[in-house]
Amino acid sequence: MLFDRIRLLKQAGVMGLNERNLRLVNDLNPRRLMRLVNDKLETKTLCAQADIPTPRLFGTVETSFDMRRLPEMLKNPTGVAIKPANGSQGNGILVVAEPMNDAWKLASGRRVAYEDLKFHVSNILSGMYSLGGLPDKAMIEERVIFSQVFDHITFKGVPDIRIIVLKGIPMFAMLRLATAESDGKANLHKGGVGVGLDLVTGVTALGMQHGKYIDIHPDTANTLQQLQIPYWDEMLLMAARAYDVTKLGYLGVDIVLDQVRGPLLLEMNARPGIAIQVANRSGLRFHVDALLKEKAEHLLPEKRVEIAKRVFRELIPEPVKASDITIDS
Amino acid sequence: MTSRLHTRILALVLILAGLAIFFTKVTKYDYPLRPSDTRTVWDVEIYLEFDTSNRPVRVESFIPARGPMRTVSEEQFYNGPFGLRLDSDAETGNRKAIWTYRYPDGNKVLRYRTSILEETVQTPLPNTMEQPPERADLFFESDLERQAFIVWSAGLRRQSDNDVSLVELALQTIFSTDVSDELSALIPARGDDIGRLELARAFLESEGVSARIANGIYLEGPRRRTEVHHWLEYNLEGEDRRYFPSGRPEAFFAMWYGVGELVDAQGVSDFDVQIGLQPSLMSAQNVLRNTTAEPSPLIKMFSFTGLAINTQLVYRVLVTIPVGILILVFLRQFVGLQTLGTFMPVLIGIAFRETALLMGIMLFTGLVILGLAMRFYLEKLQLLLVPRLAVVLTFIVLCMAGITIFMADNGQQIGLSISLFPMVILTMTIERMSIVWEEYSAADAIKQGLGSLLVASVTYLAMTQTQVEYLMFNFPELLLVIMGICLIIGKYMGLRLSELTRFKQLAVNQKETDAV
Repeated sequence: MLFDRIRLLKQAGVMGLNERNLRLVNDLNPRRLMRLVNDKLETKTLCAQADIPTPRLFGTVETSFDMRRLPEMLKNPTGVAIKPANGSQGNGILVVAEPMNDAWKLASGRRVAYEDLKFHVSNILSGMYSLGGLPDKAMIEERVIFSQVFDHITFKGVPDIRIIVLKGIPMFAMLRLATAESDGKANLHKGGVGVGLDLVTGVTALGMQHGKYIDIHPDTANTLQQLQIPYWDEMLLMAARAYDVTKLGYLGVDIVLDQVRGPLLLEMNARPGIAIQVANRSGLRFHVDALLKEKAEHLLPEKRVEIAKRVFRELIPEPVKASDITIDS
Repeated sequence: MTSRLHTRILALVLILAGLAIFFTKVTKYDYPLRPSDTRTVWDVEIYLEFDTSNRPVRVESFIPARGPMRTVSEEQFYNGPFGLRLDSDAETGNRKAIWTYRYPDGNKVLRYRTSILEETVQTPLPNTMEQPPERADLFFESDLERQAFIVWSAGLRRQSDNDVSLVELALQTIFSTDVSDELSALIPARGDDIGRLELARAFLESEGVSARIANGIYLEGPRRRTEVHHWLEYNLEGEDRRYFPSGRPEAFFAMWYGVGELVDAQGVSDFDVQIGLQPSLMSAQNVLRNTTAEPSPLIKMFSFTGLAINTQLVYRVLVTIPVGILILVFLRQFVGLQTLGTFMPVLIGIAFRETALLMGIMLFTGLVILGLAMRFYLEKLQLLLVPRLAVVLTFIVLCMAGITIFMADNGQQIGLSISLFPMVILTMTIERMSIVWEEYSAADAIKQGLGSLLVASVTYLAMTQTQVEYLMFNFPELLLVIMGICLIIGKYMGLRLSELTRFKQLAVNQKETDAV
C-alpha cells in the first residue's frame, strides 16, 4: 500500500518539498536575488523596468516624518491600498475606498478616522506585519478594482492568478479563489480554492480545496470549469518577463485582473508552493525536466511563452474534464 | 550534481572517521559498549615479610609497570615505619618501590596493593617494539661461548626458510629438554627459565627482532600465593607475539621487564614474598574512569574524561543534543512532521529534563494555552513586537509561580524542577504558534503545536536514554557520524511520508490512467 503509493506518485512525477527545496529553490534561486521579490517596492521598480503593469504607487512612508505627506497620498478618487512592503500572506493590507465626511470609508464599508489610518501606518513601520518583526515601509498604492469575471465563483476577497515560471518559461498556472472559510483570502492554507488552468488556453479545469478535488465553488455553488481567463496571453508574457528582471529560476508570479487596466502584477514569490500539482492534476517533475532542457533563458519572452505552450501540450495533451476523474467526497 | 558528490564524499569521510575511532576504542582499548557491562578486575597484592636485626634495611620490589595500553589503578602502599621511594626506568617502563629503614627491629611486613585489568595474547605490545632493535654486539663471557653461539645460530639459519620459522625453531631448541653441546655452553647455570629466555632474547635481537623478557603472574583465579612466570614478548614482521615457556595462560599480567628479580632485599633474614590475587567484578564505566592507561593523542582528543567533573556533567547533556536533532531531522525530512520553529522542539525536549516527561507535557501544554490566551488578548491592544513578547514572558513567569505555589500548598514539590523550565523557549513557542494561527489557521497551529510536543517527547526519551547518553559521552566521535548522516539527509529528494497523503488524489489519478 505504502510502496504502491510511492510508486504511483513517482510515476506521476509528483515533487515533494524536499525535492522542491533542493532542485528548484536551492539550485535555481540564488539567495542574493531572493531579496528582490521579498520587498514589494523593489518588485515594483523591477516591473517598471520590464514594462510589466503593477498597481500605481502614490507614495511610501518610511519614517514618521513622511507621515505628513500621507493625506496627499490618500487623495485618489478610486481609493488606495495601504500595504507593508515586506508583509506576507496579505496581512496588514488596508483598502481605503473613498473619503467620507472628514474621514475615510474602507472597502469593507467601515468608516475610519484619519487618526486610525495613521496608527495603521505607524504599526506597519514598526514591523508588526513583517515576519521577523523588522522595521518596515508602508506603500500607498492604487486600489485595484477587481474584474467581475470571477464574481460568481469567489466569496468576497481577491481572486488572483498564480503562474509558476521555470527559468523564464511559464510552467504551471492556477486561479486562486477566496471562500467563506478562508476569510476572503485566496490562500490555499486557509481553505481557499485553487483551480487548475490549461497553460495553453487559459481555461479553468477542476478546482481543489484542502487537497481534494471539487467542481463547484463551496460557497457560490457555481461551476469552476470552462471559464476563460481574459488577457491570458498577456499574463503569460508578464510572467515570462518577470524572470528577466529577477533572474529567479523558480518564480511564482501573482497577477490580479483590474477592470480598467487589465492584468496587474501584484507580487512575486521565490519559493512558491507545490499544491499547484494537485490543482493541475499533474506532477511537476516531468515539466521541470523538460523545461530545464530548453535552455531558453536568453530568448525573447514571446518565444519563451511559445515554448511554454508547446511543452505543456506535449506533456498534457488534453485538458482533463471533471467527468474524467473521480471526485472524493 | 557536483555539490551532491561533494556532500557524499564529505559525509563518507566523516562517518568513516567517526566509526574508525569508535571501533579503535572498542577493540583496541576495550571500551565497554554498554554502561551495564562489567569487567573482571584483579586485585594484586605483593606481601613482603621479613625479620630485621637492628641493621639498615633496603627492600626493592618491582611493582606493575605502567604503559600506554594498561590499567593500573588504586595503588596502595603499607609502609609501616619504612621510608618509601618510587623509582621508574624510562627505557623499560619498569617501576620499583624502594623501602628503607635505618634501625628496624623484629618482624616487619610491607605490602603493595593495586587493581589491574588482565592482559591476553591479543593485548598489543608498545609501538616501539615494532622498530628493529639497535644492533649491539652480543656479550659473551668467553671465546668459546662466542664460537658456540655462531655455530648454533648458523645451524638454525640453515634449517629454516624464513624469519618466522627461524624464530620458532630457535625457541623450540632453546627450551627443549635435551640441548645440544653448543647450546648447553650458552645457557647459564641459573635454574629457571630466565637464562634460556635471555639467550632467546639475545638471539632475536641479533636477528633484528625486537624482544623483551616479561615477568609477571598468570591470572587463573583467586590465589593466596601465586608464582612469578617469565615469558618472551617480541614483534615479528609487524605482528605482536609472546612465547610462554611454562604453559600458555588464558590471561596474565606482566609486572616488569628484563632479567631482574622481583625483590631485592638487604639487611633482612627469613624473607618471604607472597603475591596474592583476587578477582572482582567492576562496572565497565568505573574501569574506564579509573584507567590510567594512556591512549594515543587522537583517542584522547575524543574523550571527556580529562575534564573537570563539573564540565563533564555539562557535556554529558550537550553531546546527547545532536541525537535529538538527528531524530528531528528524520521526522521533518522523511516523515514531514510540522513543528513550530526549527530546533524549538529539541529545546523543549531538553527542558523536559527538569520536569520529567509527563509533568513536562502537562506544564508545557498548560502554559502554552495560558500564554496563547494572553497573546490573543494582547493582539487587541496592537502592541509592538518586543514589548509584546516581554509581556507574554512575564505572564508565563507569573503562571509558573502560581502553579508552583498552588502545588506547594497541596504538598507537591515541583518548585525546583520547574525553576529551570526555560521560559524563553515557551514564549517563543507561543509567539510562533500565534503567528501560524493567524497566518494559516487554528488547525495548522494546533497541528504544529502537537507535532512539536511529539518531537519534544521523542527526543527527550532518546536523549535521556542511559545507553544513548553513555555512548555519546564515551564515544563523542559518534558526533562525526551524526554530522555525516545529516549531510546525506540534506540531499534527500524523495517524498515525505506526509506528502503521500497530501498528494493522494494524484496517486489515485495515476492509478486510473494506468488502468486505461
